Formats: sequence, structure tokens, C-alpha cells
Amino acid sequence: MRNKSMIVGAAAVLSCMAASAAHCEDGWSAKVAPLSERNLAQVTPGLSTKVQVQSLLGAPWRIVQFNDCGMSMPGQADETWDYRGKDAGGAYRLHIEFDDDGVATLVAKIPDHVAGGKGTAAKIAVPDSKMAMKM
Amino acid sequence: MFKLTVSRLARGFGACLALGMIAQASAQGAAPAYPPYGPSIPVITNTEGPSGSYNQDLRREPPPNPWNEESIWNMKVEGFTDNQARPIYQPLIVNQDGREILYNGNLAGTAVNPLTGVSESNGTSIIDVTNVRKPKFLFHIPGPAPINGSFAAAGAQMVRVCGGNTLPNASANGTAGRWFLLRAFGNAGANESHQIWDVTDPAAPKFVTTVLSGLSNTHKSWWECDTGIAYLVAGAKSDGWQQSGSAQHIYIYDLSNPAKPVFIRQFGLVGQQPGAPVATALPCATAPSDTCYEGTTNPPSGVHGPISMGTTVDRVYMPYGVGASGVIQIDDRLKLINGCLTSGPGGNPSASVNCATRPTQADLLWPQVSWVTMNPENGGHSSMPIFNVPVPEEQTNFVDGTPQSKSLLFVSSEGTANNCFGQAPHDAWVLDISSETTPWSMATLNVPQFPGDFCGKGARFGAHAVTEAIYPPYYGKIISVSWFNAGVRIWDIRDPKNPKPIAYFIQAPTANTAASCSTINGVTNCFNATMNDYVEYDDRGYIYAADRAGTGVTILSLTGEARQAILPPSDR
Repeated sequence: MRNKSMIVGAAAVLSCMAASAAHCEDGWSAKVAPLSERNLAQVTPGLSTKVQVQSLLGAPWRIVQFNDCGMSMPGQADETWDYRGKDAGGAYRLHIEFDDDGVATLVAKIPDHVAGGKGTAAKIAVPDSKMAMKM
Repeated sequence: MFKLTVSRLARGFGACLALGMIAQASAQGAAPAYPPYGPSIPVITNTEGPSGSYNQDLRREPPPNPWNEESIWNMKVEGFTDNQARPIYQPLIVNQDGREILYNGNLAGTAVNPLTGVSESNGTSIIDVTNVRKPKFLFHIPGPAPINGSFAAAGAQMVRVCGGNTLPNASANGTAGRWFLLRAFGNAGANESHQIWDVTDPAAPKFVTTVLSGLSNTHKSWWECDTGIAYLVAGAKSDGWQQSGSAQHIYIYDLSNPAKPVFIRQFGLVGQQPGAPVATALPCATAPSDTCYEGTTNPPSGVHGPISMGTTVDRVYMPYGVGASGVIQIDDRLKLINGCLTSGPGGNPSASVNCATRPTQADLLWPQVSWVTMNPENGGHSSMPIFNVPVPEEQTNFVDGTPQSKSLLFVSSEGTANNCFGQAPHDAWVLDISSETTPWSMATLNVPQFPGDFCGKGARFGAHAVTEAIYPPYYGKIISVSWFNAGVRIWDIRDPKNPKPIAYFIQAPTANTAASCSTINGVTNCFNATMNDYVEYDDRGYIYAADRAGTGVTILSLTGEARQAILPPSDR
């Protein structure tokens, strides 16, 4: 699966590079590598490590780390990995948050477009008070 | 101090009052030259009637659209760039020899650079926005690589750019005709630094040098282009300085010759200096002594980002605390720069031997004009002054009708929690600094939680940053503050005691918007919410809304009442 993702990703890159820079910039979002639902289901909050996630899903489309000012800002120090996917419901992002030890704490499959902008339910490691504080 | 004469202020003012997106001369050229590019300060004319905002509804903004839609009021979208889906901290727009170049300092992470096809650690994006309708991504200078697989220390959040022709001694230093980028390299880790890059060709930047390395923290620096003086926000565990919250203070350098940085001194609040007795010190406000600390927390909170108003005003404004336990400090610029010398302008005959690196309390007090302690639940994120803002009501001068004005400091705290979780509201404030030793609050700038239901929307809600760019038609007429998930917020400040919301823009989420997840009442949800991190202007009056959640930069102009507010009455 990882190899397949990389091939599709590389094709997208080449396609993008062949296009104009302007097209590339705004067209990149449309390049979506399919995610294996079976592999995706194996990503388990509280258990899966970064290495395991990468082994299952390949390199993420994007990594974001909102840490700022060297301060501990509630829930925003977690590193998040985003993958792009598409299923019967349309395009979505797979959003995975990791703790400082590199273990997934939250997994969510978030549609790109949600009516009214309402929230999408996520799977978390342990719905305890520690997690609630990680807002 | 603030009653600057018209002749001093008018330099470079030119014919900028008509909005019309007038392209001013390049910062590299003759004029205008406002801080940080030069010493001039725009003159503000009173365009309000004597009754000011009387009979005007000060809370009349229309409700925003549903969360997944764009909301816009008295503004127009002119252009957009997705910034390669990288989350932005700070945008900076520079007129670089007639080209308008957008530099984005990005938060940590990684994304594929379509120009190279390679996944690059987030650093500095360089985008040509000369034609705002067709921004062209020129180059991405990567940020630090992850350490042990973690991006926690990465990113290159801050950017400043100076033209070599504006820097002192251009010929001797070989900087003539060149352009230089100062950026933070890394955020909080073991070996962060501040770097200089040559961006004369913004599509092919060249590394010049590292100004300061071995840092544990970096943040938002300021660089006076006409003097070369840079105020770097930095901290190193080995420097001995002490702070609560963000472990950073000021390192002052002379970057007249960017290739050869010259260290001047370190600076911070009283109580942060190495050797300050943190365990026993009492607050200076109630127990002044030679071993006290300023503010409400000991040691005092770290600085966020200084703003120098250059050689004409000769003041530096420093916000400490970011989002909590804040202090706003006003410093005498010359005494700050030269205060570790024992003679000459700004010199302190009593400066201690180790003043530059391990100052005494007296060394730190030498340049301090005043400080204001904020309440513990708010911090100093931004402190941007605007001088001689007309006050429409006559009052003091009722008898003869002489125009009156106030010098103001716009201060913001930073909302730091998603979904408002556990935090007090974070607003912005207008301080009257006409008497600079006794700053006093004049008004509050706030955004109502409803009807937008911004605490339920996901991501952060609250103030963040006050715009720093000086664009004369806007100066003293409007003020812009980034408000995270409530977008860009603009107030009409022509009656500064009664600031009036007059425009806003909330970017719609896209497929690039990084989700914000939270657990409320035991249920975890993720939201696609944009977060306006900074709003800045270019020298044509375009307004840039940069998204912290990776959704890109939206380029805007003013319309309707907001446009009317910045025009002289004759042009409305």
C-alpha cells in the first residue's frame, strides 16, 4: 500500500510540475492518493506509533505542528498528520494527532465539506479527563 | 514627545490620501519611509464631525454566515494564494524594486512544494503578489528538519525584510541594490537561530549568515531598515535569563551589514535578568526595591515582539506575556540601544560592566519610560502605536476650537485555547499614551461570541495581532486586528474613544484547512475552521489575511463604509 501511495503521489507531483506554476499551486489540492480502508482501520488511537502509521498509510500529505511562542497552549502542541482520501461520501482528510511520544491519540476522517461547518466525530485513545484537557 | 511637528512628520507623506490603491515608491527608493523602513510618521487629518460617533450604532455588524462559508462585510476579495497548504504565522509584504513580494513565515510542519515536488519542512514562502489576482509562488526556503521525528521545534514563523539601499553605509558594506531577509529558524528547541538570507532575487534566495544560534526560543523580531538596528526575540538556556511562559527576551544587534552582525546588548523586564532573586523578589509595583520584578508573575513573562518607531519618535514598544500575565513596556530607544555605553547619546554613565549580557536592575531601568501591568488572564501580544490621532470632540479646546489629538497604543492579548476552553476572553485595547509615563485605557476592541457562536466553531476565538504596517490612508482612521476563527476585524477609530466595527472577513474552510479537534462533555469532534493569524497591509492598501490553519492568504480591499472611513470628506 505504501508503495502504491508513493507512486500515485509521484505521479501527481510530475503532473503538477508539468503544469504551469499557477496551476500547480492551486491544483495541488485536487491530487488525492487513495487510502486503503483496511489499513486505515488499523490505525488505533492509544496504540499506533508514527512509524506504524507511516508503514500503513505512507508518508502524510501534510504535517502540522501549531506550537507557538515556546508555550504550552492547550491541545495545540500535538503534531498532526493529514492524509487525503476519497470514498463514497466524497473527499476527506484523515487527521491523526500524536502525543510527545509519537503515539496516535486521535483519529478522525473529516469530510472536506460539512454542511454548516459542524463537527465530525473523532476516535480518541481514552476519553478521560486528560484528553478533555487537551483541547 | 508625541506632539511631533508637521514638518517632521510630513516627510514622505506625499499625495497618499486618495486611496485608489496608489502604488507608493519602493521602500528601496526615496519615499515614503515609515517604520521600520524609515523615521517618518504620517500626519492624520480629522475627517469626523465634532460629534464623533454620536448617533451611530457601534454594534451593527451583520451576523456571519454558517461556519463552512465565507463571511465578508465592507470588504472585497481581490486575490488568493494557498501558500502550499502551509500554516502561516506572519505575512510581510514588501515593495521590492517595484515588485510586491509577500513573505510568509510558516508554522512548523511539512508539505509538498509543487515547485520542486519535494516534501519540505515549513519555512518561508516567497510569493509575487504584484498582480493580486494572480499571485505567483516563487520559492519556499525550508525550515528546520524535524528532530527525532518531531516537528515540535521547527517552523520559521517570523520574517523581516530590508533593502540594502536603505541600510546605513550601503556602499561600504556592499549592500547597495540588494535585499535581505531576517527570519527565525525554529521555534522552541535545542538549537534555534535567527538567519539572514539574500532575497535580491526572491525566486532564488541565498543564505548569508546566522545572526544568533544555540537558542531555545525565537519569536517576532523587528528590524529598523534605516539604522540597521534589529531587536531579536530569543532565549537560550545558557544565557541565564529568567522568564515565565515564553522563555525569550531581546537581543539587540546592529545588522547594518547583514553579513557581519554586531551584538549590542540583551534586554528584558526587571526581574528577568540573570541573577535576579526569583525566589525572594517582590513586585516592583507594590514593593519597589533594587531586587523587585515587574508584572504579576515572577519571573516576568517573556517578550513577544517589539515595535520600534525609529529615530523620530525614539521609542520602542514591548508587549510581554503573549496571552497571560502581561506587561506593556515603553522604552527610550536611544537609551535602550546605547544604555550599556557610559557616554554618548543615550549612554548611561552608571552602566555596569556586564550590562550587555548580565545587566543589573539599574541597567534595565535606564531606558524604561513606563510599564503597564495587565491583569493575569491577559498578556501582551502586540503593542502598536499611532501618534496624534484627532479627537473629534473639542472639549478641552471648546473655547477656541483648536483641534486636539491623542497618541494611542493598540494592545492585544492572544486567545490561546481552542473552543475558548478554560480561558477568559482575549481582547484588544486602546491605550492613551499621550502622557507616556502614565498610559491609560481609553477603549476596548472586542468581537462578540454571538451570533457567530465562535466558541463552538472550533479552533481559537480571541484577539491575536494588531496590524503593524503603516499605510498612510489607513493610519489613524482604521485599525485591523486578527481574531482567529472570527477572521479579520477592522474598526473605525476616527473617534478613538468610541471605536466602531466597520468591516470583517472570515475565510471559508477548504480542503487545506487543518482541523481543530476538541472534547466537550465527553464527545470529541473535529472542525474545519480557519484562523486568521495576522492581517497586514501592503503599500497599495491591499489587506492580507493569513490563515494559521493552512488555508492560505486572502488579499482584500475595503468597500462601502470602510472605504468611506479612510477617504477625506471631499472624496466620499
